[in-house]
Amino acid sequence: MRKTYLVLHHELVTTLTRPSYLLIAFGLPLLAVLVFAGVTILKGGSPNRGVSPDAPDTSKLEVEGYVDQAGLISIIPQDIPRDHLIAYPNEQQAQRALEAGEVAAYFVIPEDYIETGNLLYIHPSPSPFSAHVRDSAMRWTLLVNVLGGDIELATRVWNPANLDVTDLTPGSQPDQACSQPGMSCESNLLIRYLPMIMLVLFYIFIITGSSLLLKSISAEKENRVMEILMLSISPLQILAGKIVGLGFVALLQMVAWLGTGYLVLRTGGQTLNLPAGFQIPPSLLAWGLVFFLLGYALYASLMAGAGALVPKVKETTQVTWVVMTPLLAGYLVGFFIVEDPHGILATGLSLFPLTSPIMMMLRLTVGGVPLWHTLLAVGLLVLTVIVVVRAVARMFHAQNLLSGQPFSAKRFYGALLGRA
Amino acid sequence: MHAAEVSHIAKSFGRTQAVADVSFAVERGEIFGLLGPNGSGKTTTLRVLLDVFKPDGGTVSILGGPMSEEKKNRIGYMPEDRGLYQDLSLEKCLLYLSTLKGVPAKEARTRLAEHLERFDLAEHKGKKVKELSKGMQQKAQIINTILHRPELIVIDEPFTALDPLNTQLVKDLMKELRDQGSTIIMSTHQMPQVEELCDRILLIDDGRDLLYGDLDQIRRQYSGHAVLVRSAGDLPDVEGVAQVVPHNNATKLMLAEGTSPQDVLEALIAQRVIVERFEIAVPTLDEIFIRVVEEGDA
Repeated sequence: MRKTYLVLHHELVTTLTRPSYLLIAFGLPLLAVLVFAGVTILKGGSPNRGVSPDAPDTSKLEVEGYVDQAGLISIIPQDIPRDHLIAYPNEQQAQRALEAGEVAAYFVIPEDYIETGNLLYIHPSPSPFSAHVRDSAMRWTLLVNVLGGDIELATRVWNPANLDVTDLTPGSQPDQACSQPGMSCESNLLIRYLPMIMLVLFYIFIITGSSLLLKSISAEKENRVMEILMLSISPLQILAGKIVGLGFVALLQMVAWLGTGYLVLRTGGQTLNLPAGFQIPPSLLAWGLVFFLLGYALYASLMAGAGALVPKVKETTQVTWVVMTPLLAGYLVGFFIVEDPHGILATGLSLFPLTSPIMMMLRLTVGGVPLWHTLLAVGLLVLTVIVVVRAVARMFHAQNLLSGQPFSAKRFYGALLGRA
Repeated sequence: MHAAEVSHIAKSFGRTQAVADVSFAVERGEIFGLLGPNGSGKTTTLRVLLDVFKPDGGTVSILGGPMSEEKKNRIGYMPEDRGLYQDLSLEKCLLYLSTLKGVPAKEARTRLAEHLERFDLAEHKGKKVKELSKGMQQKAQIINTILHRPELIVIDEPFTALDPLNTQLVKDLMKELRDQGSTIIMSTHQMPQVEELCDRILLIDDGRDLLYGDLDQIRRQYSGHAVLVRSAGDLPDVEGVAQVVPHNNATKLMLAEGTSPQDVLEALIAQRVIVERFEIAVPTLDEIFIRVVEEGDA
């Protein structure tokens, strides 16, 4: 047990002090936070307020002008700050005001606005981050004026339904609209793509963690340390120490990435144009931990088995492809079934152990997954991990570890099935 | 009780038979030489001995019985290819490997400091292994083999990449370890070191043992096949001499099968050669090696 701990400790320390790992695990999230903070500061606003679905958020509007060729606007709603929408009699004057910096942008309401709904927006440097806010004041003003100044009616038209969702999935709680990402929140791109983002992230977490194991084993084979290790410690102790040690390392990366994402989503309501009340359910993070650990255990064991057969580090790329093919297939299919996350194919792949670590996370992120699906996927995954670890332990012996034979998929699967 | 005993072991990899039939025993407290040409099966024999590979046939006993996890801490092994973490510092690498051999970290640090000093590596302990010269890596490998004070040391080509000074240092160390009671099994191509260090040897070729026993007895066994002669004037052709080889200030006459030194001396005198020096040549281990391997091949 002590020797297993020594291997675990060694893998932890050597990987955690490697600059490339630190850069990927912590540097990238830090960069994301800095970029996010920079955008927030540049926008000059507090990041932690979401956009209310009941009325447009007008608290941080830039001063904008408008040229009303349709003669439509007779009142400016009271909730729009004074002098934030300035009327100009013609485009020339509005353009001069824009060039003088008196307004950040201006609108032109054409004469045929009521028939066409067309509206011109002139802005020197449009920003995708402010797309939702920049026209909300004018939209709100137009709506109020089209409805004859009836603020109450305009409010109802702006947000015709306060959707109260009741999820009948066992164990789940009734949620507010958009409190869970998915189809109901598709007006926001970030939330709409969140299931795919989770799919990609979990693919990266699992492939990164298990690749660390493959590289560690193949490097020790190549530099002949493996032969020294085998005269110090049993192959199973080596395998256990490495899987657990590098599992911690991979987990740390996952926590850093997801933690940063969670923090940004929690505090970045306005900057990211998230709906009010939006949050990632803690249960999703808990299931994420479970599926990551099981997915890592499965693929890291397979990688370890493959690593036992690889004579040189440079051959590990080929090995990664062979081992990761099922996960990669699930990953690619995931992009096509994200619009039908509870269909037969998606459900099947989320239960199939070789793809469930990422596909179930995709479905859980969308929401509405019956609890028994999740539990069945976990159960099948646990069983598969047990079978694979046992098979790999049989492969992890000196004849394979010290062999100089080139790697082949046939030999790998043969050894895994106990035929070699 | 022998430190190690191998009886009729065989080991194949697929269709390649690496070891066909090898037997030997190593006494406690001796330096045992395992010799053989390249590809003769030496490394496989050592790996079978150390239970890295299971033999296809035969039996192995090490430190009084089969290999166990507990025994691993009592054995030091240095493979021919240097087995060190190239990206770790020398100190961290050796400390990690010695703690895996059961040495407490604090004790390992103390012992390591002493050995690094002795091997003139102390000032390089912070360098990555890959930044060290081959000779330094070889010395580091030797330190790693003995740091946990093993009873049995199995060492494959210990003198590779070492200059004469460091070769002497390693030879002195090996003698010192033997005097302290350790048993050393050494596989090498360097016959002068074997002649100086080994008490007994095993010569194998094609996976089979060809020559085994006490080094002095083997030398005596193979003497009588050559004589050293110095004479006034050139030596004439002598019947029963297979080969004539200049040797320092004398001539070495390699004798044909069935010819004795006495026959050669009588023939020289009969031909009125003035013999200034006549002695039976003790063959070097190199010569015995070549002769035995060639006979084995024939």
